[in-house]
Amino acid sequence: MTLRRSLLIMTGFVLVGAGAAYAQIPEAPPAEFPYAGNRTGVWIVAQLHILFAAFILGAPIFAVVSEWLGYKNQDPKYDRLAKEVTKVTVILYSMTALTGGLFIFVLLATYPDFTTWLIKHFFLIFALVYPLLFILETIILYTYFYSWDTMKGGKKARHIALGVLLNIVGTVTLFAIDGPTSFMNTPAKAAEGLSLVEFIQSAGLWDKVANYSWMPLNLHRLVGNVTFGGFIAGLIAAYMYMGAKSDEERSYYDWMGFVGNMIGVGALLLLPFMGYLLAYELCDYDASICPYMMADQLSMFFEMQGAMVGLIFLASNYYIWLSMKRIEGVEQVRISGLVMVAVILIPAVMGIAWKMFPPPEWQSLIFLALLVILPPILSKLPGLRFTVSAFTMIKVGFLMIVVADAIWMTPHGFVATQALATEHNELPSWASELALMPAKNAAAFTLVFLTIVNYILYNRAIRQGTIIWGKIDFASQFVLIFLAFSAIWTMGLMGTVRSLTRKYFHVYNLVPDFTPEAYTPTLAYSAWWITGVTLVFFLVVSFAIVVTLRVGSGQKVEAPQGAAVPAGAK
Amino acid sequence: MAEQSLTRNIMKKGVVGVIIGIILVVAARATGFPEVFQIMFFIYAMLGAFVFILLDAPSMNRLEGGKAIVGLLLFYVIISGAYIGGASSLPQYDPEIEKGKIEKILKARRARTQKGKAEELIARAKALNERAKAIEQQLKALGGGAQVVVEAEAPASTAAAGDLVALGKEQWELQECYNCHKLFGQGGKKRGPELDNIGNLMTPEQLREKILDPKSWKAEGFDKQYKKGKMPDKYKDLMFDEEIDALVAFLATLKDTSVNTPKPIKMK
Repeated sequence: MTLRRSLLIMTGFVLVGAGAAYAQIPEAPPAEFPYAGNRTGVWIVAQLHILFAAFILGAPIFAVVSEWLGYKNQDPKYDRLAKEVTKVTVILYSMTALTGGLFIFVLLATYPDFTTWLIKHFFLIFALVYPLLFILETIILYTYFYSWDTMKGGKKARHIALGVLLNIVGTVTLFAIDGPTSFMNTPAKAAEGLSLVEFIQSAGLWDKVANYSWMPLNLHRLVGNVTFGGFIAGLIAAYMYMGAKSDEERSYYDWMGFVGNMIGVGALLLLPFMGYLLAYELCDYDASICPYMMADQLSMFFEMQGAMVGLIFLASNYYIWLSMKRIEGVEQVRISGLVMVAVILIPAVMGIAWKMFPPPEWQSLIFLALLVILPPILSKLPGLRFTVSAFTMIKVGFLMIVVADAIWMTPHGFVATQALATEHNELPSWASELALMPAKNAAAFTLVFLTIVNYILYNRAIRQGTIIWGKIDFASQFVLIFLAFSAIWTMGLMGTVRSLTRKYFHVYNLVPDFTPEAYTPTLAYSAWWITGVTLVFFLVVSFAIVVTLRVGSGQKVEAPQGAAVPAGAK
Repeated sequence: MAEQSLTRNIMKKGVVGVIIGIILVVAARATGFPEVFQIMFFIYAMLGAFVFILLDAPSMNRLEGGKAIVGLLLFYVIISGAYIGGASSLPQYDPEIEKGKIEKILKARRARTQKGKAEELIARAKALNERAKAIEQQLKALGGGAQVVVEAEAPASTAAAGDLVALGKEQWELQECYNCHKLFGQGGKKRGPELDNIGNLMTPEQLREKILDPKSWKAEGFDKQYKKGKMPDKYKDLMFDEEIDALVAFLATLKDTSVNTPKPIKMK
């Protein structure tokens, strides 16, 4: 054996020995989330936590507004509504805390290095600000709920003030935790010429928190929470309506469903624009995020989002239709035919206007103002005073909702990525405008405008007619459940998208994810998990509703049993 | 309000929906829409028919007790199935395409981390250990004093070491430059200029300067994009020097004068 070979063997033994010595310090076995894998596992726990958190932040907003309306109008129905929603919130609060704790455990076990890094960069928030806010919120929430019956009469205003404080603390908590969340998507942008890596080492906490997508995420989540709270109140009402034993109960829960849906839809009208703002800021931070979202791996995720938003608007307006059907005298309600003409023209006119004058150019607002303001003005002129029935208007409106949904959902190409686009799956060039932002904005605006017109018609109907609470078509309860389910599913889808826009980074462009799971999963795979999380959430919420509201007895409403309630008297 | 029977309602509206669907499909075909869009328009027509069936549907009877629970569970199953089915029926992006790209991008980075270096050392130690064992086996088999043949290790492959331009083209794909810059007729052109003739307009040093500091140069006619900082200022952090050299080498070969690449203007 030559010296060279001896040395080679010796070196090998030394290295192996060194490795063995290094390995003598026992390492914990690597954590592997069962069945789903680490990345999906973290997403599941995070999404569940977000759903419960969205409810406990959104429901109190709904509850306090309802309590205030009850106090202002001296109407006990609103107070009962507020209390029942708060009762469910208190039960679900513990689930929020549980899933939050589970989230941090799963993160630490599956991604220990990154989690430690993130905690260190936001230590003040994780170790001090967030826990203090959480403790404060717990104290205020339980005080708010358990003092409900004692703080009545002259003390009611103080109770409402406590509710307002609860919402302020909740909002601050949301903004605080959105700091590290948004940082992972859009870490602070370094000054020109400076390296992001160098900048982050010396950046202050505020620099990291106040990043590009922080405030847009705050606004989107705040509005989304109100929408969510409204739809969950509708879900509660639907369950209780289905299980109601008396006409009194049915009257009350029919009314509750309507109120919940109205709040949910009211906030929903703002949500597309909040979402647009968030996407705009993400794209402004890094232009390569936009094609990833809209033209590449996530393009079909947004196609699915388009379908969900379209279905939610369809369902909301269908609920208004069913609500109107039970109003006595609704056949007499009419509206100017010019409004119907405006509704039919909106998609085309605004599509062209926004093409000629894209936002933020202001000239497109002239077209918008003309379409919205002219019909009621012109309808007063002789010769233009033709009207249509409310039902005709709503039916034409539904036709335009389907058209707007179709425009909203038309992609540039039916492909998962632009690289695979061919003439066999792309829009013809003459129709390519259908896939661009002006057409999408026009479609979104049509959906929003039609919903507002339908609510105007509904209000006109309840002023002129007699609404019979408790006699609504039973299918309406399934519509309320459908709305809650679809809203939650859409939140899951958007949560997936937000996580995936980080691509193969834990913190975009800064901290790479070296694990083998750092890739974009298919939409089908994502849909299975989103549905699973939605069903788990529904199971827990259904249990909470049944335990808190059906097992305990609610207050008796003051509305006479089964009788029509004149709308004016309400 | 008079309500039609459900069956009559479905028949009437269904027929209207099918007729409208057929009209849309014929019109779409005549105007050059691909088949997938024709199917989409037909589905929209049927969705419209479904909506109008619902609008005129008779009131639903109240469900109570067990029937309500069964109805509810069935409803959840149906909408869950619809959403999973709907999402699954859309075109799916193949993760395997992305995995290959990500591996190429992250491999070099992983190797340069502490953990990466330790993993490499351990891997080398294991490889040496295996060679030592193999030599030991040969010695035992041949007995003392015999000549042992140690096969020389194959030299580590240096993937396309001699072809910097090919590596640069690979970087073009990995960094997804095509998302903003059109090249060879493919890619986006709204955010950034077409680069087919950039090799004639900028030197390699200037190209490197632009990649490392996007604000250093502006393309003529792209004032809005320049002002908004559309080109990400991340490549000095994300790309190693050799990767930038390769990309620059590739861009320097782009000299197609038939494409109108805008004139670069020095800004800093």
